[in-house]
Amino acid sequence: MSDLSEQVGEDKTGTRFWAGLALPGMAWLAVFFVLPFYVILCIAFGSVDPIFQTAAPEWNPLQWNTAAFEFVLEGLFTSGAAFQTVFLRTLLYVGIATALSLCIAYPVAYYIARYGGRWKGLLLAGIIAPFFISYLMRMLAWINLLQDDGWVNDVLVWVGILDVPRNWLDGRASSVILGLVYGYVPFMILPLYAFLDRIDRSLLEAARDLGASPFQAFRMVTFPLSMPAILAGIAIIALPMFGDYYTPDLLSGAPQTSLIGNQIVLYIRGGQQIPVGAALVVVLMLFLTVLMGYYIYATARAQRRLGS
Amino acid sequence: MTRLRSWLANPWGKPRFLVLFTALYLAWSIVPILVAIRFSFNEGRSRSTSQGWSLRWYTGDPDLSVLHDPTMHTALLQSLRLALIAVLVTVPLGVALAVGLTRWRGRGSGTARGVSLATLVTPEIVMGTALLLVFLNLLTFVELGTMAQAIGHITFSLVFVVIIVRARLLAIGPHYEEAARDLGASQLQAVRLALLPMLVPAIVASGIIVFAISMDDFVISNFLSSGTSTDTVPVRIYATGRTAPTPALNALATLTLGATIVIALLGFLLWRTVRAARGQAGSTVGEFAALDAETIR
Amino acid sequence: MTLHPRESRYGRRELLQRGAAGAFLLSSMGSLLAACGGSDGGSGADLTFATPENPVTWEVFEDNPMIASGLEPESGTLRIYNWNGYLWPKIKKDFAKEYGVKVEETFFSTTDEAVAKISSGAVDFDVFFPTTDRVGRLILGKSLQPLNGDYLPNLANVWASLRDPWYDKGSQYTVPYATWTTGIGYRTDKIAASPAKLANPYEIYWDEQAKGKLYLLDDSRDAPAHMLLKNGIADINTENPDDIALAKAELKSLYDQNVKTSTDDYTNLPEGKAWVHQMWSGSAISAQYYLPDGVGTDALGYWFPQDGRGVIGSDMLAIPSNAKNPVLAHHFLNYLLDAKHGYDNFVNYTGYQPPFTALNPDKLVADGVVPKNLRTAIVRESDFDVASQFTELTPTGATEWQNAWAEFKAGV
Repeated sequence: MSDLSEQVGEDKTGTRFWAGLALPGMAWLAVFFVLPFYVILCIAFGSVDPIFQTAAPEWNPLQWNTAAFEFVLEGLFTSGAAFQTVFLRTLLYVGIATALSLCIAYPVAYYIARYGGRWKGLLLAGIIAPFFISYLMRMLAWINLLQDDGWVNDVLVWVGILDVPRNWLDGRASSVILGLVYGYVPFMILPLYAFLDRIDRSLLEAARDLGASPFQAFRMVTFPLSMPAILAGIAIIALPMFGDYYTPDLLSGAPQTSLIGNQIVLYIRGGQQIPVGAALVVVLMLFLTVLMGYYIYATARAQRRLGS
Repeated sequence: MTRLRSWLANPWGKPRFLVLFTALYLAWSIVPILVAIRFSFNEGRSRSTSQGWSLRWYTGDPDLSVLHDPTMHTALLQSLRLALIAVLVTVPLGVALAVGLTRWRGRGSGTARGVSLATLVTPEIVMGTALLLVFLNLLTFVELGTMAQAIGHITFSLVFVVIIVRARLLAIGPHYEEAARDLGASQLQAVRLALLPMLVPAIVASGIIVFAISMDDFVISNFLSSGTSTDTVPVRIYATGRTAPTPALNALATLTLGATIVIALLGFLLWRTVRAARGQAGSTVGEFAALDAETIR
Repeated sequence: MTLHPRESRYGRRELLQRGAAGAFLLSSMGSLLAACGGSDGGSGADLTFATPENPVTWEVFEDNPMIASGLEPESGTLRIYNWNGYLWPKIKKDFAKEYGVKVEETFFSTTDEAVAKISSGAVDFDVFFPTTDRVGRLILGKSLQPLNGDYLPNLANVWASLRDPWYDKGSQYTVPYATWTTGIGYRTDKIAASPAKLANPYEIYWDEQAKGKLYLLDDSRDAPAHMLLKNGIADINTENPDDIALAKAELKSLYDQNVKTSTDDYTNLPEGKAWVHQMWSGSAISAQYYLPDGVGTDALGYWFPQDGRGVIGSDMLAIPSNAKNPVLAHHFLNYLLDAKHGYDNFVNYTGYQPPFTALNPDKLVADGVVPKNLRTAIVRESDFDVASQFTELTPTGATEWQNAWAEFKAGV
């Protein structure tokens, strides 16, 4: 397929035509995506205007000032320091939330892909629906339910698990993590479904014919085949989760559940040290690039193992 | 016991555990929203206990309803305004970019493709910070507010148009354009007359997606806002969600959801009309689902 | 395309070429940006800091002149940039009707955010509400324009001491708006202890009953100030590293109390989210309107040091230098300085006292404006002589304090 489309573009005038079509979009991205990254670097390596208390970017790479980066790196690698604690906490929350999301998303995607049958359209609609509902509206719904006089407490007290209504919104890690799961799990289901849908049934039938039990068939055929899907799903939700700062703000508000995004917002949105905020952003992006690199490597390895 | 064993032994039967799990998931996913919508119609001020039904928080209350509270309806209008601008700019830009990138095989095309997909893996806080700093320090002619927010939305949603359209393009293949060229059409005419009509489903789908993304967007709208007059609905929810004393906020969120659903339905109907006009048969939902599946791949 | 395992996608030469191209691109982009770069500092001016002991008369800069006298007010939309809940909507409506214009108000939630936007010039408002610890920089940075007193006859209504304040002698750039103190709000019906009865009143923050119901103000100056005062450090503008470390440690010790931060004190306390809340005096007075049914105003309490040695301040009105409607803005300032409008604004909505000579603090309880048990929230002109006000911090000091605040907010 792709060879044929490549052939069309082999034509010299064709190349210029296609490049020309792509030009407006690329120009837009160059100005509003690539350039801002360079600006962040210039600000992170710049200084602060003492009067305006705004950033004084340093445009010339040869004169970059590393003070902000030194501060951030020191905070990240000194045991017990603020940045390190927050970063590790972010890793922990994102890790747990991603794992929980996988535990929820995989069975659902598997069911729809394999046993959906005539309900498939409806189920898919139910899965896609959260995409059209604003993340914050879904969080708002949960805030309402988790209030002291909300339905969660009502149900728990009525069932007898709790004696008195518990304050779920007063700064619990569990509320924040469950909030993250609730918010991001829909984004994992769709890619998982798309991949699982594609798995060849005949492979499973063959495994069964060879004497494997349903569990063995799953473990040795389905699960390995879905590794690329699982990796994709993890990447799709973990990357944005690292930048999340509004979920702790909404569901908690206490300093002990703040994430790296909260620190970035604190330094960027006002005050003396915008370069530090910019440096934090750069460090976060570097970390995520490393993660992306690992994802690409792991996917390539998984696909090589599957011979595809 | 035998029932359990027979259940386990039959891999092609309906696995009841998965059915239950999926049903529970769907309930857990959708019910809180329905509850929030229910309380937006509350007669009283509570957001957690049922107190009758009324349109008080939509239009009735003279101070606090969405209709009368300026911060509320300003937010709704701003959300709609930004979403429309985003769709009108991103879709043409993205379609051109997608077609160009897919067919272009010259030097630099690989890098271009990589860059165009890079926004997908960038967290919004990074993009929001980057754009804020750019508008404050370099491109200062862009004032914070609608223009800055629109630029942010377009930049963020461009990649989704590219992905959807590219997936469709790769599935369509170059045959139709080649046929048109053989019949004497110029490159541009081939694209315009042979390719674009085939892309209509993808274009409509990407339009709907961009609208939904823009309505939903929080971080970029928050960072690039100039204050409450350019806050969008998600930003208002964030600002007042923990302390909002009335269900008017639920009403606002419900209206936003309604707008997105209306646009999605309109797009769907548009797609169906186009298909009917062209005499295509088959289920539209099926085609949409297939489009999604290809896109993900 | 399959490569031999020893082939790499990019040959060494290609790699060098790309690297060189990248470096060249970066440095040329650097010089290009520097040439067409945006706002370029201009930080040649000296940083003078005003303090109560060291009042400052600001210079009027040539490139930031005041508007001429006798001009007609513009007919555009008056844009106000303000805290939430700090200006009565009816005032806006009445002003709009009187002058035949539209009035639009935009809210910010922290001073940091507001000052950052105003000083960047990225937003244009006609009226702004600065605070004493930031106004110096705004003036030096030419973000505020000098006021033309011909448009402001009502300035005479203000206390003499604030007509010629230490942070802006001669009221050249600002006029006073409201006065406030920062004390401790608490629910008398939920907490057995009360600050006044404790040996160290600030210890109420560590009271067992307040656990999980404790809020501090989400302000990087106000919250630590109470920690300093708790330890007998009266200088709330100290930049002594030991003091900063001490304040930070005190703040962190509140983690066990599950402390949270917020600027919605006027709803948190009456709604019962907080039983002990670091509070501004105006919020204490307006909180009575947010009490749920069945809870009386005697459930609220506000504590401020009896000897008056607490945190006090006054907020002002100013006009940003890039205001599109400066004459109209002057008229609005004058409108707010009118004795009746200022009083109505205070009594009906904000709860923050305007510093008017016509306003008799002793009458406020009798008039039913302030509940008797909250009379500690009333501010008097004489209070300013004893209490501590916030002044500007030097760049180093501001950095140190911000780092301490960030560390507290990190929950370390």
